[in-house]
Amino acid sequence: MKTATVGPAGSRVSFRNQGWITVVVVVAGLFGAWVLLNAVIGGRCDQACVVGSLAQALRLATPIAFAAFCGVMCERAGVVDIGIEGKMLMSAMTCYAINLFGFQLLKDAIGAEAAGSFSRILAVCLGAGSALLLALLHAVVSIRFKVDQIISGTVINILAIGVTGFMYRAFLAENLPAGPGTFPILNIPLLADIPVIGPILFQQKPLTYVMLLLAFVAHYVLFFTPWGLRTRAVGEHPRAADTLGINVFRTRYVNVLAGGLIAGLGGAWFTLEAVDVFNPLMTNGLGFIGLAAMIFGKWYPFGALAGALIFGLGSSVTSTVSIFRPDIPSQIPQMLPYILTIIVLTGVVGRAIPPAADGQPYEK
Amino acid sequence: MGGFFRRSSVYMPFLAIVTAFVLGGAVIWVTSGSLDTVFLAYEGLLRGALFKERGLSESLVATIPYIMLSLGIAVGFKAGLFNIGVEGQFYIGAISAAWMGASLQGAPAIVHLPLTVLAGAAGGAAWAAIPAFLKARTGAHEVITTIMMNYIAFRLTEFLISGPLRDPNAAAVQTPRIAPSAELWSLHAVPDRLQDPLNALLTALIFAGVAFVIARWALPRLARRRPDAGRAARLTSPPVQAGVAVVAGVLAFVMLPALTRLGWPFTDQYDRLHTGLFVAVAAAAAVWWLLWKTTIGFELRTVGANPSAARYAGVSITRNIMLGMSISGALAGMAGMMEVLGVSICRCLPLFFSSGYGFDAIAISLLARNDPLGILLSSFLFGAMRNGADLMELTSGVSKYIISLLQALLLLFVAAPPIVRWLYRLRAPGGREESATVTRGWGGQA
Repeated sequence: MKTATVGPAGSRVSFRNQGWITVVVVVAGLFGAWVLLNAVIGGRCDQACVVGSLAQALRLATPIAFAAFCGVMCERAGVVDIGIEGKMLMSAMTCYAINLFGFQLLKDAIGAEAAGSFSRILAVCLGAGSALLLALLHAVVSIRFKVDQIISGTVINILAIGVTGFMYRAFLAENLPAGPGTFPILNIPLLADIPVIGPILFQQKPLTYVMLLLAFVAHYVLFFTPWGLRTRAVGEHPRAADTLGINVFRTRYVNVLAGGLIAGLGGAWFTLEAVDVFNPLMTNGLGFIGLAAMIFGKWYPFGALAGALIFGLGSSVTSTVSIFRPDIPSQIPQMLPYILTIIVLTGVVGRAIPPAADGQPYEK
Repeated sequence: MGGFFRRSSVYMPFLAIVTAFVLGGAVIWVTSGSLDTVFLAYEGLLRGALFKERGLSESLVATIPYIMLSLGIAVGFKAGLFNIGVEGQFYIGAISAAWMGASLQGAPAIVHLPLTVLAGAAGGAAWAAIPAFLKARTGAHEVITTIMMNYIAFRLTEFLISGPLRDPNAAAVQTPRIAPSAELWSLHAVPDRLQDPLNALLTALIFAGVAFVIARWALPRLARRRPDAGRAARLTSPPVQAGVAVVAGVLAFVMLPALTRLGWPFTDQYDRLHTGLFVAVAAAAAVWWLLWKTTIGFELRTVGANPSAARYAGVSITRNIMLGMSISGALAGMAGMMEVLGVSICRCLPLFFSSGYGFDAIAISLLARNDPLGILLSSFLFGAMRNGADLMELTSGVSKYIISLLQALLLLFVAAPPIVRWLYRLRAPGGREESATVTRGWGGQA
């Protein structure tokens, strides 16, 4: 973690010093969750149940992590993005539609199997593209026209709700042909056979692997490339960066657009991995939870991933609870991720310092 | 008149509305494939909103919660707070009012109705106070916390309706029917309601209150025109103002029941328009008065405009964040209260109760630039669109969700005036334009 000290926002708290505390908290949290789970369901969570819960936690953490990475990319360059929710919703809708109708067009020409794979991949690309368009809107409105970034993000969210609601009613609500379904589980050869770890990490669907890879890629880009250095400079002190000849606007544009693509992948998860339907508002606030994960991770990709995993574990445990204990009203455990998000934001789990120029339009 | 339209606060919203409708028309044209559909759709929208049977009154029914919620958002904005949580506060206000309205069976309306209204407002205010407290204490950004509070509110009301507060006698999952004494009167029922002397007394008290406020405002202005100083002083003295209020109250108590019997414009018993309309208009006036004519409002606006200056001047940031958010939540809670007490057909809160008013209200208050009068007008625009959409879908086959698209486009144009100015090649008005600033860092920093 040599680079970490270069890192964050006016870095009084560096990642290296906090690292071991985080590890202790995570391990204690995992153990606590397991004890609590056993207490609630009456000592029935054996190894299979634990492995299943962890695998599900990783699965459920996927969209949150994508959202958090999008947040990290944008905010490291000094642009606050609360429109992640809207971008994910838009991408989820686009993916579903492309997957469904692409399959109809292609299945007679190249066979159902190939058409399915092809339309799913096409869906991911176009879904990310649709999120990219919204990101472009956010970038133009907030970077060029200097509208308040929170307002601009809210506009994106409402626009996405409007567009997806309209498209859903117009094309996706009824009389749908059978589609090719979601991505199948992709077992990584050899690794998938490792006991315990294999089923958790290597028997997942493709976007989950993409998410894990992206954590490494984002970390590398932000902390080991000139581009990352420029990004962080623009996010910390755009005036100084500008003086050094870094194009502040271009850096921000590119990062916001890259964030849009990442959020689009997160949106694809909803309709290409989780379920084979699209519902209006199906993102259910996960974009905002992603922002909380980003803050929890102190604007580091790996920290954000850890935050997302905690939220994923929370949802996974609550769903395990509701299987074993149907007598507990389902709404109570469903509130937990949202309460957890608020707790993270209040800084109980350690103060986080955002990039210094986060949220401020740059006036040349 | 020309000067009026040359003001950017007037023509910009107007241009935004026109542009949104033109773009929406283009979307209808593309998705339906014929230009006629566009005109058919907009004609249906207009007819459904205003001219069909009960069209106008249904538009007003939808306008009422819009007014309350966008007033709530506007108060928040003025205090520098972006309260996206009005939707959740609306739910909590609704469930509080449903609970209070169904308990206390048999109490007279003069006690029960104010208590239920208060319960709705208090529920909304309490729900908003939580993120306000967290913001004041820990700096947790209210945009995310209020959205999280929305989701918690949805689950909580769902749990309460299907569990503790469920009506055991009803087939559907819903809260018990509220007592008639807690209902907000439908306009057509006003003459009947007034036959009960206690109801007439309640009305008289409200009239007396309004008369008192008007007297306090008008009498000093009248007095200033009097050359005779002695009589002028008498006009402005508190006993005179109180006297005016008492006279108005007594007159209302004696005359109103008989007068409404003689002639009352609202006779259609299927009309859902209710007295909440007056409450909403009064709330707009009250918010205007609070924000621009009182010390409390001045402090709120100072904290919103420049927190460091406010702190330097000795204004408590914490207190004003709590206050601004609570007022905002109370207004939103009252909107939920009115939906239960005045609009819902079962006079209860059903399980699958969704409003979607909250997000529209953000667009409304931005469109109105947080001005109460503008909020009344923009709320009517949104209420009319929401109501007209059904007939539009019926006559033209265009999905009524085009409305949310139109509103989103509208929001985009009002939130980003430079886009509209760029589209129409307008020059920016001289001086710095007032724009909301709500991005002030994330949570975790004090």
